[in-house]
Amino acid sequence: MTPRDVTGVGIASALGISASGSSFFDSLARAERLTARRDTPSILSFDASSYSQARVVEVPDFDPTPILGDKGLRTLDRLTKLLLVAARLCLHDAGIKKDGQWFALSPERVGVVCSNAYGSLEAITELDKVAKLEDARYINPAKFPNTVSNSASGYVSIWEELRALNVSLSDGNCGGLDAVSCADVFLETARADALLTGGGEAMSEALYLAFDKLGVLGTSTSETRLGEGAAFLFVEDPDVARERHARVYGRLVGYGTAFVVPHDSPLIFASREAMRRAIDMALDDACVRACDVDLVVSSVAGLPRFDDEELEAIASAFGDNVAVVAPKLALGETLGAGGAMGMACALAWLGGAPVAPTLLVRGGAPARVKHVVVTSMGYYGNASAVVVSRAPGT
Amino acid sequence: MFITGVGVVSSIGLGKKAFFDALAKGTSGISRVEAFDVATLGRTFGGEAKGFEPKDHLTPLEIRRMGRCSQMALAAARMAVADAGLEAEALKGPRVSVVLGTTMGEAAVLGDLDHQWIHKGAAGVRRAWLPKYGSTLLPIHVARAIGSEGAVITLPAACAAGNYAIGFAADLLRSGKADVVVTGAAEILQELQYIGFVRLAAMAQERCQPFDLNRQGLILGEGAGILILESEAYATRRKAATLLAEVGGHGMSCDAYHITRPHPDAAGSIRAMEQAITRSGIAVDSVDFVNAHGTGTKHNDAAESKVMKEIFGRRRVPISSMKSMLGHCMGAASALEAIGCIMTLETGLYPPTIGYETPDPECDLDVVANVARKGAHKIVLNNSLAFGGYNSVTCLASPYALPAPGAFSRRAVTLASAGAGQQP
Repeated sequence: MTPRDVTGVGIASALGISASGSSFFDSLARAERLTARRDTPSILSFDASSYSQARVVEVPDFDPTPILGDKGLRTLDRLTKLLLVAARLCLHDAGIKKDGQWFALSPERVGVVCSNAYGSLEAITELDKVAKLEDARYINPAKFPNTVSNSASGYVSIWEELRALNVSLSDGNCGGLDAVSCADVFLETARADALLTGGGEAMSEALYLAFDKLGVLGTSTSETRLGEGAAFLFVEDPDVARERHARVYGRLVGYGTAFVVPHDSPLIFASREAMRRAIDMALDDACVRACDVDLVVSSVAGLPRFDDEELEAIASAFGDNVAVVAPKLALGETLGAGGAMGMACALAWLGGAPVAPTLLVRGGAPARVKHVVVTSMGYYGNASAVVVSRAPGT
Repeated sequence: MFITGVGVVSSIGLGKKAFFDALAKGTSGISRVEAFDVATLGRTFGGEAKGFEPKDHLTPLEIRRMGRCSQMALAAARMAVADAGLEAEALKGPRVSVVLGTTMGEAAVLGDLDHQWIHKGAAGVRRAWLPKYGSTLLPIHVARAIGSEGAVITLPAACAAGNYAIGFAADLLRSGKADVVVTGAAEILQELQYIGFVRLAAMAQERCQPFDLNRQGLILGEGAGILILESEAYATRRKAATLLAEVGGHGMSCDAYHITRPHPDAAGSIRAMEQAITRSGIAVDSVDFVNAHGTGTKHNDAAESKVMKEIFGRRRVPISSMKSMLGHCMGAASALEAIGCIMTLETGLYPPTIGYETPDPECDLDVVANVARKGAHKIVLNNSLAFGGYNSVTCLASPYALPAPGAFSRRAVTLASAGAGQQP
């Protein structure tokens, strides 16, 4: 890929709504594992009374109105609101737009690449219930668009007037990193000057029920907490960033992806080989040697079958001494948003934020971070990796 | 970038030949919906692919593992691979990617799970069905079946998803990130989506009549259209490859206006079409035919007519909507229609807009009415619009009818993307 600068970060996560990239970085430095938390916050996104102990982590007390105002939110679902908040904060943080006024670039040249794994299950199940329990004629047509997969991403463009392009991506856990590859292609082909690149996933009872039924939450060996949130990075060409004197958090320099499935393996499958190939491909793309990588931001989420394969692949690529962190142990398994959140964490540590020891799963915290590899392990034999580096001169 | 094979599952036929024959004859695939109970919905018709039998195309294990949308995608992918004459070994490895579009993917799986949950409670939800849900799975199933190990990407770009996938696949090939991409889109007719369009007052009773004065709206459909795209270097090295068409420029924009309605000025749609033309390195005058998005709704067809006037001026370029025959296959629509465009490029036949009876002054276009028409057939545009203000246009051409890449400047492309129109 062509190196791209990240000049803005907007995040709504388990650590709260971060007013700027820097405030997220501060929160991350103090982050603790979800399993270590003594408080058990109430679940607000759905009625969890029928579950003995719902292992989820939400964006705490999520209220979009301080960021978005209180108009136009009534028919929007949680996923859309999370993405809208992250997008507005990101544009603000990048110095592009504030209080509805554009300060740099133009709406025609800024677009959106947005990952989401499962769509708005909240909206779909709500309307399904109306159709099945009441009458299809009572379905609110204003809420129907929320059921469509690209709706939340589309609303980001509508609310922020981003007209270059809007692309939604559904690549499961790998979507947040795959969005980087898409953004690179779209910037390379001059379809935009800059792109909000990231993803979102919203908590809902249906999502929780599915993961709970699959037995991946709350088992004796699993630390996995289902999470939610949205994260956008403002990604642009270094020349464009320099021209507008933008602050640069870091540079995306390499991407790799792979899909490996042995014959007759089950559908849900963790591929160590795919992860290793994705890492090698990303390093090669970035022209960065494995020995020069200071930190790996993994997608380890407390699910042994997948974590073990990922950590083995990382060890085979970098050796046993590289520092490996697992932000999902603090942020939850955020699925389609996970890759974007991982990259935001990488930017924090590139910028000198201390690595919270609680998030380290291998090695010790590096003294100085210059190159970070962010990894995402898919559930189906797919894997992706992105290399994020310090921008020259920073 | 060349298209070397196609596969089709549709309401008017399975496979390329049946599809082309039906399009040429103006066959309607609209019939009474049988997939779910429509008795109380006020609408009863759809473009259901009733001839599709999964067991004719898939193994029993594949059928068990997949929802109907993935089944259609894989069936069409196998047809496309056979059409392209690709050997199994050629599809294996990291240089082959799968990029598919959809609107809702396995919506019926989720509908069934919801049904179990609502009526039987959480305990009644069948665990074994859960892994069948997710749009992510469409390219995963195809990649598993063919052995490809490159990128597996789903672009849920609603009713423009087919064009998005084809355009992105072509970009992947252009950037050297793949040699072969299996691309296209799939969509099923599903109850909640059907109800939703009824509640949006977007559905016609029995017929979809694009550009007609008395058009009442769309009729939902389903299907899968899969295309094999190969880089020029790869395709020309392969003796068995037949170059069906060349993929030219792809235009994309977002209205950023309304979640369901196109912008009344059609500014975004105009920009997307300008981009497709500029990125193809062609003059506006060289476009022979436009496959319309043509949903048959008042807003869409009026906006699309503005695009045609703005782009082509007084020149009346023939335009037609296959949705009059197929129904609106949502995510799969522009993939199926891209394959229909290949028929035009091969034969010179423009597929008709059936049910066209009364011209609408607001849609004063050269509509190919009711009967297929012969005409010039070197370069066509495939237009699509979608929820979220998505606009996407793909230029398709006879092999080597387009100027060589590099004949157009990055500056011209950037200006077109910014909406500066056709700059000298």
